[in-house]
Amino acid sequence: MEAAPERDLDIEDAPEQDDEVQVDFAQEALEELDRALSTVQINNSALPMPAKREELNNKQCPLSYKRNCQKEKLLIALAENFRRQFTHLYPDRKPLFLSPLNECGVEKFVSTTLRPTVLPYPDLFHWEGCTNFVSDFLSLEPLDPPTDPPRHLYSPTCVLQTQRGSCFDFSTLLCSLLLAAGYNAYCVSGYATKDVCFLNLCHQECPLLANREKGKMEEQAATALNYSVKPPRDLSSGFERRQEETRQKEVQAVRLKKQQEADRLQEELEKPPPDPLYGLRVHCWVLVKCGAREVPEDFFIEPLSGKTFPTTDENFLGIESAWNNHNHWVNMQDCRHGCTNMSFDLGDPIKWEYLLCGDTGQSLLLIPAMTKQQEFDEDEEDKEESKAFEMPPSWVSELHISQQDMEMRCPGGVKVLQYRKAKLEKFAPYLLKDGLLTRLTTCHDLDCTHVCIVKEWYQHRNDHLEERELRKDGNITLEHFRRGRSFALKSHRYVTLTPDSDREMEFYSQARADGLARRVEAGSEMTENFEDRPDFLFYRHTVFGKRNRILMPGENMEQRPRPLMKVVERFHRDTTKPASEDVEERVFLVSEERIQVTYHRDDDRIIPAWSIFTTPQDSGNKNTDTFAPDMASTFQVDPFQKPSKNLFLYETLMGLMNEQEKVAQRIKDSEKEVRAILELRQHEENTIELHISIYNTARNDKARKHREALERMAEEARLRREEKELDFLAPFLAQLGDPDQLTRQMALQLRSDCLADLKQRLIDKANRIQARFEKETQELQQKQQWYQKNQLTMNKEDEDQYLAFCSDAMFRIHIFKLRLSRHKDRAPQKYLALDEKLRRDPRLTPFL
Amino acid sequence: MSRIYDTIEPSVVNEEMLQKAIVEQGPQGVAGRIAQEEGIEFGEVTQLRLEFLNILKIDHLWQFTALTKLQLDNNIIEKIEGLDSLVSLVWLDLSFNNIEKIGGLDKLVNLQDLSLFNNRISVIDNLDALLGLQILSIGNNFISELDSVIYLRRFKDLRTLNLAGNPLCNEENYNIFIAAYLEDLVYLDYRLLDEKTHEAAFAKYQYVIEEKKHNEAQEQKAKDEKKKIEEELQLHKDAFVEHLNGPHLYESMFADDAEATKLAFLTGVPALLDSFRTQLVTQCSQLFEAGLTQHWKRDNEVKTFYTCHREAVIDNQERSAKIVAEFESARRQGMNELHHVTDPDMVDALVDQHNVEISHLYETLMNLELQLVDQLEDVIKDFERNISDMISAFVEHVQGVFAQCRDLENHHHEKLLEIAVATLERVAKNELEEEMPDDVRMLFVDKDTVINAVSASHDTHLLKIDNREDDLVTRINAWLAGQMRTMNVNEGSRNRKRISEILNYTDYVKEQLEILLCHEPL
Repeated sequence: MEAAPERDLDIEDAPEQDDEVQVDFAQEALEELDRALSTVQINNSALPMPAKREELNNKQCPLSYKRNCQKEKLLIALAENFRRQFTHLYPDRKPLFLSPLNECGVEKFVSTTLRPTVLPYPDLFHWEGCTNFVSDFLSLEPLDPPTDPPRHLYSPTCVLQTQRGSCFDFSTLLCSLLLAAGYNAYCVSGYATKDVCFLNLCHQECPLLANREKGKMEEQAATALNYSVKPPRDLSSGFERRQEETRQKEVQAVRLKKQQEADRLQEELEKPPPDPLYGLRVHCWVLVKCGAREVPEDFFIEPLSGKTFPTTDENFLGIESAWNNHNHWVNMQDCRHGCTNMSFDLGDPIKWEYLLCGDTGQSLLLIPAMTKQQEFDEDEEDKEESKAFEMPPSWVSELHISQQDMEMRCPGGVKVLQYRKAKLEKFAPYLLKDGLLTRLTTCHDLDCTHVCIVKEWYQHRNDHLEERELRKDGNITLEHFRRGRSFALKSHRYVTLTPDSDREMEFYSQARADGLARRVEAGSEMTENFEDRPDFLFYRHTVFGKRNRILMPGENMEQRPRPLMKVVERFHRDTTKPASEDVEERVFLVSEERIQVTYHRDDDRIIPAWSIFTTPQDSGNKNTDTFAPDMASTFQVDPFQKPSKNLFLYETLMGLMNEQEKVAQRIKDSEKEVRAILELRQHEENTIELHISIYNTARNDKARKHREALERMAEEARLRREEKELDFLAPFLAQLGDPDQLTRQMALQLRSDCLADLKQRLIDKANRIQARFEKETQELQQKQQWYQKNQLTMNKEDEDQYLAFCSDAMFRIHIFKLRLSRHKDRAPQKYLALDEKLRRDPRLTPFL
Repeated sequence: MSRIYDTIEPSVVNEEMLQKAIVEQGPQGVAGRIAQEEGIEFGEVTQLRLEFLNILKIDHLWQFTALTKLQLDNNIIEKIEGLDSLVSLVWLDLSFNNIEKIGGLDKLVNLQDLSLFNNRISVIDNLDALLGLQILSIGNNFISELDSVIYLRRFKDLRTLNLAGNPLCNEENYNIFIAAYLEDLVYLDYRLLDEKTHEAAFAKYQYVIEEKKHNEAQEQKAKDEKKKIEEELQLHKDAFVEHLNGPHLYESMFADDAEATKLAFLTGVPALLDSFRTQLVTQCSQLFEAGLTQHWKRDNEVKTFYTCHREAVIDNQERSAKIVAEFESARRQGMNELHHVTDPDMVDALVDQHNVEISHLYETLMNLELQLVDQLEDVIKDFERNISDMISAFVEHVQGVFAQCRDLENHHHEKLLEIAVATLERVAKNELEEEMPDDVRMLFVDKDTVINAVSASHDTHLLKIDNREDDLVTRINAWLAGQMRTMNVNEGSRNRKRISEILNYTDYVKEQLEILLCHEPL
C-alpha cells in the first residue's frame, strides 16, 4: 500500500520539475514518465485496461486537504495523547490506526475522513446498493505489509477518482455512503483471514448458483378427514419386508460411508495450505448496527466482496477499533476466539474505550422517546459542559459520482470474479456489441479446465434475447427471450440451428392465436402442447416418415414437408357436451389408413367409448359408393343405448377425414414456422443490434442530434431577437453618463434629444436627396447648353449619345423627385412613431 | 296466407307428407342413400320445412322432439296448436297464415326466433314463456295499440322487432315510442335504430320510463326479499326448528283456546300470561339456536362424508381406468397381430393367451370394485353411527327443553287455577268489583265449570307442546332415514353400474375375438 502512493507522487512530481528546469531535460523526463506509466500498466495487465484516469493533482485539492484547522490540530493532539497513554498501558497491542496521512501528506483523524454524502441515485439509498456499488466500483490494492495498517488513508473523493484503494479506503467510502443513507454504520479495523483480505473467492460458491438451487419447497399439509377410506389390507409378509429393509439399510450405509469418504478427501484436497500469518492480517470492514432504518440485527459488511456476514462469522478474527464520523472506540475485549463473543454495545466503557468524551455512541442506542427526555437534561448540561470536545466536521469535500461512472460501475466496465468451480464476468451495459451483461462459467474441476455450463445474460437486445445457457457436455444451447418476439417465442433449446434437428421451443401461449405453449422435435417426431384453446385441444403428437428421396427439379430438400405417419391429438373435457360425444383423443394412423377416436369417460365410468374407422381407399372422390358398415367398429359404454346409426358413423368419418386434411395442413404450417424462426434467429445472431431507448439521451444518436439541432435553433433565434432589440436609447443615455435612475428632467431631455436627433436625420436625408437632385439637374442643364452650342457640328453618333444621356438623366431626376416626395410624406409618420415608442418605453413611461 | 277456402282444398298433415318432406330435406348423396337404407326416425330430425302445403291444422308433429327449426309458412293455419312436445325448438316460422290470436307457445321455452308475419293478429299476448326470444317478426298484422309494445319489455334479449305494416305504425311517435320502451332493441322494421333515435326517445319519454323502471326495480326487490325470507324459513325447516325463534309456539297454544281468552279477563291473569310468555319464548329461542348449530354440524358432517366418498371413488376409478386403458392398447395390438398370423397352432396359442388376459382383467377390475365396496360400506357405517349419535343427542336436548316448557305450563296452570278459585270465591261472596263480560261470568256459576275450563285450557296447551315435540322428533328421524336410504341406494346403483360396465366390456372383447376367429378361417 505504501509503495503505490509514493510512486504516484513521484510521477506527479516529475512533470512539475520539468517545467522548472530547462527544456533540455524534457526528453529525460518523458522517458521517465513512460517508464512510470509502463509499470502502472503491468500491474493491471490481467484485466482489460480501463481508460486511464487523470492522475491526482495535489494542487487541485481544496485547502482543507492540505492543512489542518485549529480544531483538527487539537483533535490530532488529543489522538496523539490517547495513543501515547494507550501504548503505555497496553504495550503488547498494536499501534492504533488514528491519524494516518492523507493524499497530500497531512495527518488527518480517521473519523473526519468519513464524509456522509447523499447521492442522487436510488440504488444508493439502501445498504445492498451501496455495498454492491463499492465492491464493483473499486479495485483492490492489498496492504503491504499485510500485518500493519497503512500509513495513508486517502479521502473518499480521491478514491472515487482513482477507483483504487486498500480495504481501509473501501470501508471509508462505504461507511460514508451508509451514514448518508441513514444507517448506523461504523468502520471496523481488525484482523481477518487471508481469503477475505485478498478478495479470494475461490473457496466460495457463486451466489448466482446458490440462488438457483434454492427451490421452493412447499408441502401442503394434507387435511385429515374423518371419513377417508382405509387402505386395503396389506397381505404381504411383514417379516420379509423387515428383512428387506435391513438389507437395504446396510447397502445404503455402505454407500453413504463411501460418499462421506469421497467428500472428505475432496474437502482435504480443496483446503488451502495453512496461512503463516493467520490472525495477523490487518483488515478493515464495516459494521452496521441495529436500530436505524429497520435493521433488525447487527451485521458486518465486507466491502471488498460486497457480502454480509453475521457478527459471529469465523472469517473475522479480531477487532482493534471502530469509528464513525462522531467518535472512535478501541476494543478492550478479548479476541482470542475471534468475534464470536464480542459485544457491540459501544456505550459500555469497560468493553469499548472511547476517545472523545461525550455520549454520541450511547445516545444512538437509546430509544427515541428516551432521548427526547434526555435532551432537556442535556440542554442544561450542555451549558455547563460546552467545553466537551466535539468532532470537527469532515475535511473532505462533497462526494460526486457521475452518471457515466455509475453506469460503468467497475473500472473499465468489466469485472471478473473467480469462485469455486465457477467464473463470473460482469460487463457494463452497452459495453459489448452483443449486449452481454453477465457471464457465468461453471466448471467440473477446481482448476477450471473442463467447462461445464456457460450461462450468459443479455440486455437491450433487439432480438429480445435475455439469457443463454450452453451445456458443454451435450452441446445444448438454451435461449430465453423476453415477450414481444415474432411467433411469441419464449425459449429455445437446440443443438444446431439447422431444421429437422432435435429442439424444444416454448412460446408465450397467451400471445398466440393458436395457444401453442411448447413444441418439441425429437428425431422424426414432433410434440406440440397448447393452452386455453376454445376447442380444448392441448396436445398434438406427430410422427413423420422418411422424405421422398426423389427430388423434383428446382426443389429444395429441406423445404419439402415430411410425409405424416401418425398424428395423435388430445382434448380436454368440454362440459357442454355429453361425455360419450366429447372426443378425448383422436389418432390418425395415416400410414395404416385408420382413424381411432376415443371419447371422454363419464364421471362414474372407468371405460371410455371409442370408434375405429378405416378410411376409404379413394378418399378423393367422396360421393362414391365406398362406405360399408364394417369400416367402423365402435364400443359403447352404455349397453342399453341404441347403437349408432350408419348415417351418423358415415358423417363422423367424413368429418374426421376433413379434419385429417386440416391437421396435415397445420403440421405443415408448424414445420414452416420452425424453419422461419430458425432463419430469423440465424439472421439475428449474425447481425446483432442493441435497442436504445428513446429516453436514453446519452446513447440515442438520433435523439441527441435532434436535441442539439433544437438547441442550436433556439440559440440562433435568441441572437436574432437580440439584434432586433438594439437599444435605441443607449447613445443618449451614454451622453447623460448612464445614470442608474432617471429623473423627470432627464427623461424629458432624453426624449427631446431623441426626437431632435431623428428630426435632424430626416432633414439631413431630405437635404441629401435634394442635393443629388440638384446636381443631376445641373449636369443635365450643362449638357443641354453644350448641346445647343455644338448642335450643328455634331455627328449622328454624338447626338444619339446625348439623347441617351438625356433620357437617363431625366429618369434619375424623376426618381429623386419621387423619393423626395415620399420621404416628405413618410418623415412625419416616422417622427410620430418614434414619439410613440418613446412614450411606451418602460424607462421613460413613468415620466411622460 | 289469406285464401278463399272453396277454391283450394286444405290438406292434412299426415305420414306421407312428413316422410316426403324429410326425404327431400334430409341428407343428400351417399349419406342420403345410407339414410334411406336405414330409415330416418322422426325423433332425430332437427329441421323441418312444411311450406306452401295449404295446411289448415298443425298436427301429428309430436314425434319430432329433437326439432330445432320448424317452418310452417304460407299455409292456412288458423290456430297455433300441437307444438307442445317440440320443446327444443329454437326457430319457428308461422308467417303468411291466418292466425288471429297468439297461443299454444307456452312449452317452447327455448324459442329465440319467432315469425308471425302477415297474419290476422290484433293483440300481442300469450308469449310469457318465451323468455329467450331474440327476434320477433309480427309485421303485416292488425295490431293497433301502441301500448301493446310495452308487453315486449319482459324479453330482455329481444334485439330485432318487425312491426311494419300494422296500423300502429301510423301513430305519430311510433319509432321513438318503441325505442324508448325497448332500450336494448337494435333493429326495428328492417332498419338499425341509431344512437340519435335512442337519444330522442330518451329525451321524450324520460320520466315515464324512469318511473316504469323504478316500479320494476321495486317489484324485483320485493321478490328478492320474499325469496330471502323463504330461504331462511327453509333453512329453519331443515334444522327442524322453524318458528321457534319467536312467540309462535305460545301464540299457537292460545290460538284454539277459547277458555283462555275468557280467563284472561280475571285480575292478575294478564301479568301471569306475560311472564309465562317470556319464559316460554326464552326456552324456544334457546332451542332454536341449538337447532341451528346442530344443523350446521350435521351439514358439515354430510359434506365431509361426501368429499371423502367422492375422493375414494375417483381414486378407485382412476386406477381401474388406467388398467383398462393399458389392456385396451395391448388388445388392439394383439388383434392386429392375430390378423397376420396364419399358423393355426399359433392362432390357438394367441387366442388362449387372450382369453387368459381377459379373465385376468375381469378379476382385477372386480377385485378393485369389491375393495371399494368394502371400504365404502365401512365409511357409511361410521357415518351412520356418528350422525345418529348427533341426532339422539339433539333429540335429548329437545326433549329436555320441551319438558321445561311443560313444567312452565304446569306452573302456569296452577297459578291460573288459584286465581280462578279465588275469583270464584269472591264471586260467590259477591265481592267482585270489576265488571265481567257475561260469558266469563257464566264460568263462575260453580266450581266444576271453572276448574273444567281451566283444565281444558291446560290440556290444549300441553297438546300443542307435545305436538311440536313429536313433529320435530319424527321429522329429524325421517331425515336420517332418508339420508341413509339415498346413500345406500346410490351406492348400490353405483356398484351395479360398475359391474355391468365391466361385464359389458369383457363381453365386447370376447365377442370381438370370436368375430375375428370366425373370419380367420376364410
